Amino acid sequence: MPNILDFSLADFFYNDNPDVLSPPEDFEEWINHPRVRESFRFFEQQLLEAPRSGSRVWSGVDGEKRDIINLTSYNYLGLSTHPEVIQASKDALDKYGLSASGAPLLSGTFDLHVELARKLAQFKLQEDCILYSSGLGGNMGAMQGILRKGDVLILDEKSHKSMVDGGTLSGAKMFFFDHNDMDSLEQKLQQAKGKRTLVAVEGVYSMDGDLVKLPEVVSLCEGYNAGLYVDEAHSTLIFGENGRGIGEHFGMEKKVGVSFGTLSKAFGGVGGFVCSNAKLIRYLKGYSSPWNFSCAPSPAVVGGLLKALEVATRDSSLRDQLWKNVRYLTDGLKSMNLDLGGTQSQVIPIIIGSSGEKLMQFAAELQRRGLFLQPVDFPAVPANSRRFRISGSSQLTKEQMDSALNIIEDVIVKGLRTGS
Amino acid sequence: MTKDQIIEVIKQNIVDNLDDVKYEEIDPQKTMKDYGANSLDMIEVVSCSMRELKIKIPRTELADIKNIDELADKFFEYAEKN
Repeated sequence: MPNILDFSLADFFYNDNPDVLSPPEDFEEWINHPRVRESFRFFEQQLLEAPRSGSRVWSGVDGEKRDIINLTSYNYLGLSTHPEVIQASKDALDKYGLSASGAPLLSGTFDLHVELARKLAQFKLQEDCILYSSGLGGNMGAMQGILRKGDVLILDEKSHKSMVDGGTLSGAKMFFFDHNDMDSLEQKLQQAKGKRTLVAVEGVYSMDGDLVKLPEVVSLCEGYNAGLYVDEAHSTLIFGENGRGIGEHFGMEKKVGVSFGTLSKAFGGVGGFVCSNAKLIRYLKGYSSPWNFSCAPSPAVVGGLLKALEVATRDSSLRDQLWKNVRYLTDGLKSMNLDLGGTQSQVIPIIIGSSGEKLMQFAAELQRRGLFLQPVDFPAVPANSRRFRISGSSQLTKEQMDSALNIIEDVIVKGLRTGS
Repeated sequence: MTKDQIIEVIKQNIVDNLDDVKYEEIDPQKTMKDYGANSLDMIEVVSCSMRELKIKIPRTELADIKNIDELADKFFEYAEKN
């Protein structure tokens, strides 16, 4: 491989090594190249404390154990470390133990699971809810449970891998429309005419932080008699007057056929949930493999999640603080003329451009300066818009944000200016 | 290996991976999207063709390719190097 540094993880998916238990031969050559190894230093770094806005990381960059300002964890509302949530989780742990010790159908459903599912359905103004042990399992399981060969799944091209994998597993024909482009969506709906069709979008797109054009998507779905699935992983508890998400934000909750959410982001736990009409949820329980054939979520986590839902919805204080912080960070970054893409949320990209080398150089320097802000490289994002991605949090103090902005200015802004 | 032979390989992989596409109907000046390919189908066609041609091109170099003919040009460039 003479041009080894032009390759990425996108190039080794297909494996033609005759030994099925080995990766492609050139993968080894690529991944062991010193420059490639350097970029992998940022993956799987160990957090030594809770993912608060101030935490501690065992750096993969220089091996140092370092206090950091955390702009990467999804702990949007700080609920994973909220004292009431931790206490509720401890209480559930004491009462029920660590594991559900069974799949939901046979022995893994506890009163806690039923209560959380009921409360989530009420919260989302839907009839019923099904809980999954992981967010990926929820999206994948819903797609695989709803769709069949001969059906059509139309996805925004920036949809999460879990929906794409679920679509693949279902055997449905998949069409991708250009991101947030309603003409492109309509063209795909035309192509799908006469077939059972599901349109899947995200409330907040996870790499760009922009919002779905929900009113237009709803109108097209109605016009073509297609079902609408909204992934609210990054918008639940964040958007809408009551935190119910993008559906509420646009006043269109009743138009959403299936509302998906994760329990690992603003909720501060782990898992996924799908809310819809009671008949569909009943049906999913018969055919959605990640529910049927996986152990139910840990009761200790579910106990904490019940409290997290209560804390996040009893008033708007955490959400208000998050938005205040997001405005402060966004204003600060905009004043430095950084490219923040089309962000409209707490997910704030800082787009660097096409240089992977620069991205990794900045990432290492940010971390040495005490800022935990992870790089996002191709193929996770297009090769011409490599980036950093900030996850805003209600926990961030003004001092932490000022320090973070100073470090970003010193490293990224000056680095881009000097071309170093 | 000529460019025409490369186009034949790509066309055959399009037929193998997409529904309802006939070999004779494929016009190299068109895109795979025109024949109903989604992004996953395109990765499949490109990867299968590269395997068959025994070439490996970084995905980043394929981002700006506009149609099947340009893809064949890129494949030809690499096949010649081998």
